[in-house]
Amino acid sequence: MTSRDVHDVLNLPSDHSGAPRPSKKQKTSAPRPNLKGLAREVQNLGGDNPIAIVPEVNFFKKRRFASRKPVAKWELKAFTNSARGDDGALVLRHWKRKTDDGAPGEGAQDGEGQQQGGDGTPASEKKEEKPEDSAFAKFNVQVVVPQYNEDQYHSNLQNNDWTKEETDYLLDLAKNFDLRWTIIWDRYEFTPKPPGGDAANGDTSTAVVPAPKQRSMEDLKARYYEVAAKMMAVQKPAQYMTRPEFELYEMMQNFDPEQERKRKQFALNTMSRSKDEAREEESLLLEVKRILARTERFNEERRELYNRLDYPATDSDINSFKSSAGLQNLLQTLMTTDKNKKRRSIMPGEGVSPNSAVPNSAVSETNPANRRESIAASAASNNNNAHRDSDARTPATPADPTPTSGANNKKKGAQPPERRKLTQQEEQVYGVSYHDRLGSGPTFRYEKINKLYSHKSGQQQLRITNALSELDLPPRLVMPTAAVTAQFEVLWGAVTALVDLRKISDRLDGEIKIEEAKKAERDRAKGIVPEKEKEKEVNGEKGKAGEEGGEKAKASAEEVDKSVTAAPEGNKDGADGEKAEIGGEQPKEDGEKKRPGSSGSLTAAGHKRSASVLSAASDKSAKRHKKQ
Amino acid sequence: MAQQPLPSSVQPTDIYGGDEVSAIVLDPGYINTRAGFAGEEMPKQVLPSFYGHITSSQRDLFGDQAIIPRADLEIRNYMNRDSVVEDWDAATKIWEYALIKRLGVPRPTPASKNGLNNKPKPAADGDVEMADEADLEETENYEKPMQENPLLMTEAAWNSPKAREKAIEVFMENWACPAFWLSKTPVLAAFAAGKATALVLDVGGANTSVTAIFDGMVLKRSIQRSHVGGVWLSSQIRSLFEASEPKVEVVPTFMVENKKPVEAGQPADARLRTFDFQISPSFRAYEEERVLTEFKESVVEVWRGPGRYLTQGNEDYAKSLPGRVFEMPDGSNQMWREQRFKVAEGMWDDNAAFPSATEEGKITKGQTIPGLIKAALDAIDVDIRPALLGNVVVTGSTSLLPGFNDRLNHELTAMFPSVKIKIHAAGLSSERRFGAWIGGSILGSLGTFHQMWISRKEYEENGPGIVEKRCK
Repeated sequence: MTSRDVHDVLNLPSDHSGAPRPSKKQKTSAPRPNLKGLAREVQNLGGDNPIAIVPEVNFFKKRRFASRKPVAKWELKAFTNSARGDDGALVLRHWKRKTDDGAPGEGAQDGEGQQQGGDGTPASEKKEEKPEDSAFAKFNVQVVVPQYNEDQYHSNLQNNDWTKEETDYLLDLAKNFDLRWTIIWDRYEFTPKPPGGDAANGDTSTAVVPAPKQRSMEDLKARYYEVAAKMMAVQKPAQYMTRPEFELYEMMQNFDPEQERKRKQFALNTMSRSKDEAREEESLLLEVKRILARTERFNEERRELYNRLDYPATDSDINSFKSSAGLQNLLQTLMTTDKNKKRRSIMPGEGVSPNSAVPNSAVSETNPANRRESIAASAASNNNNAHRDSDARTPATPADPTPTSGANNKKKGAQPPERRKLTQQEEQVYGVSYHDRLGSGPTFRYEKINKLYSHKSGQQQLRITNALSELDLPPRLVMPTAAVTAQFEVLWGAVTALVDLRKISDRLDGEIKIEEAKKAERDRAKGIVPEKEKEKEVNGEKGKAGEEGGEKAKASAEEVDKSVTAAPEGNKDGADGEKAEIGGEQPKEDGEKKRPGSSGSLTAAGHKRSASVLSAASDKSAKRHKKQ
Repeated sequence: MAQQPLPSSVQPTDIYGGDEVSAIVLDPGYINTRAGFAGEEMPKQVLPSFYGHITSSQRDLFGDQAIIPRADLEIRNYMNRDSVVEDWDAATKIWEYALIKRLGVPRPTPASKNGLNNKPKPAADGDVEMADEADLEETENYEKPMQENPLLMTEAAWNSPKAREKAIEVFMENWACPAFWLSKTPVLAAFAAGKATALVLDVGGANTSVTAIFDGMVLKRSIQRSHVGGVWLSSQIRSLFEASEPKVEVVPTFMVENKKPVEAGQPADARLRTFDFQISPSFRAYEEERVLTEFKESVVEVWRGPGRYLTQGNEDYAKSLPGRVFEMPDGSNQMWREQRFKVAEGMWDDNAAFPSATEEGKITKGQTIPGLIKAALDAIDVDIRPALLGNVVVTGSTSLLPGFNDRLNHELTAMFPSVKIKIHAAGLSSERRFGAWIGGSILGSLGTFHQMWISRKEYEENGPGIVEKRCK
């Protein structure tokens, strides 16, 4: 029976009635298995679409024998805990995975096997062997509190407010509670012993029980840190301590209970704020956060804006741009500069590098305005290099973005647009210093001094050297830090001035002598007695001038003396620009106040004058430098 | 997945730092005494701390099943209202009942019965000998029933040194515990919540206490407690019943033989049982307390806030809320609306408490829950207050009143507006009820705890005073 037959029986239209019957039968019968009986009939019911018959499976899934292991055995094992410190008096029992007989199992028992020491005892002895140690014993960590003996206490730790008993009690608590101050303070109940000492006289009812002293947590901490710091110093003097030790020592020494108390008071106030106050503060904090977040973006935008505003200035006549062609031209120029700028603002490094590569042969002309700034020239970053020239030219207004010439524009583009002029104090605080132009390659500070020499004639050089050697100064500085060099320059200026003056005075002397000789001859010819007074007057003037010059020189020599002594103290490494500046600054300021007592070569009268002379001298030298 | 065995190198102990030594945890309270094995999540035995005492034969009966109406039965409690053990004789008996009879501390099976020594054909005389040996061993074991199990017991934070010493004495002398430890309930409740530093608010049966825990230690100065607990709340409910119109009479279940349904507010139509013996007042009070507890559990609710219940408008709003019907054992029933809020308000606001005739029922401002918390926090260092307020642990079964945590949160936020407040209250009611026991269970099964136990040897060397020295 086929599906066709069923169709026939039920009078259903057959959709493939035209198909030849025998051929189809052949087709379908070919793949069919040899089924018999009812199974065949059922199969045929499906017709062209054979019924899917799930084969019957009459066995279970195979067991996975691969990872099969014997059942784990557990045993009730005794153990002790060495952290108890009672030599294993307490033996507790817990269930442990039973290890295979003997040593190999010992290793599998992680942690505890190692704890035991792995002595590898055979299984037969296991019963007699000591119960193993708990794996958790190693977690028992104790704090170290300072220890002291009677002598040490009496020699180091005496305190009017604390008896030894109470100190002992405090340290005991600190040890027991692992330095948890909250708990120590909470449990602190020290009752000093009655002065009589023996509590065993039985008359406790009448005995005055002294009230326990109320100690604040700060008191306890202060005492503990005092003891700890002192004992630390006793065991190891401060100079031998390692860095962390010393830091700890310092921290303990500097513990200020008063400050702690204030801080706690502050915290208390913070906690007792009302809801409105809390909300207000919260909103303020939020505001601050927002402002801070915005500033970053804002600054970025502003920088961009400044870059855009930084147009190429021109001195030329604008008439050329009044025609349409001229305007077109201008537009083009602006576009190109704009493009350049944009690129530069994206890559700021590009604008800098060519500039710093330019060999800058200009010798450090001591510009009077930035003399002080030149003191610490060493800390020149690459960025500073980029706009050094513009600074040097307009040191008074470094923030002034006015471009001076077309050539400089390019360099100025790389310069950060907004720069606040710092006050002197701020410069000191931030360690900002300005400096002279430096040549490429390394330069030495003493070369600067040498250069000064080389301008002078041989005789002058000799004289200057003589003057310096009179002041016990080597012609070449031993340690030419920035500060020393600067001071030396001042001195050198003064000496030069003195030498110059002497040259003039010598010449004048010579001329006077010649004139006098002439006069004397004339007088002799006339027969008149020579006038002594006149000569005296001239001599007096000359002497005064010489004296003044000498004093100037001495003053500045002293100056250098001081800075030479001061500078090594102020800056241990000479390259540190910030310190050098401070070191150089200080003697200058101090020079006017602390002068008395600093030198033995001048008389007391000279002292008073020298201050003003010094300023006058430096003013003069400054002026001279300006001229150069 | 479940079929895959753990690799032999990984043992469960390495995962959570546990190392179970089958310690027993005992947590006695005023209402219930909890006992079980450390490492389990619930106490196996929870039995009332009340026990029956037969006055005629001087016998004590323990457990729920013993508290039935019978002649000469008096109900007593071995704890006092401060949650401190008062009657040590009774305590010893009830603990013995709980730990040895009920908990069935496992004893090694006598060799005669464990089946290991059954020889196929034992000689007659040899058999007799073995039985004798086994008997001897058995009696020996019975005398020291707990020699395998260290015992961890809880105590109230304000427990007296004398009571503590007595406790270790009882366990060491009577049952030969190998080790003992005494821990304070708030500490354990904090451990159960997974905190080492916490402010624990324990609203229990007889007491409400607030304790600051720092690094697993009680800060003694912070301990604050008052009687505002479940029992006090019951007295408030009694006052409510007295004040309501008509008066509501509490008829305990055992009195009712037969009842018929009545309309709400109508007098009960029930036939009461008569007993041919005297029912002691203590038994009646105990049974009435059961009814009140049911009322507490099904009707009473805490006003959730914001603001107090007495604040303008809140009472009117409470009246508009749907009420709850409670049917007394005798069949009389009534709808409770705003009263169910008002009755619990005394825990928070002393002005709202029902006036009480007895001295015990009165409450002052410092005894309310906010007052306790404030006093506790004022007594400790300011530096750790924020840490504590960020870890407020609520435990105790009276804290299961609906709305309790919401109200607590509102009160705390109003008191400390600028501090972050976080309340940890177990969601599972059993965890809230057995907080201290669960903490003890955790502690007792920790591997690092085993160095803490006071061992038998230490006890023998130092005497009971060691408990003061060690369990700080």
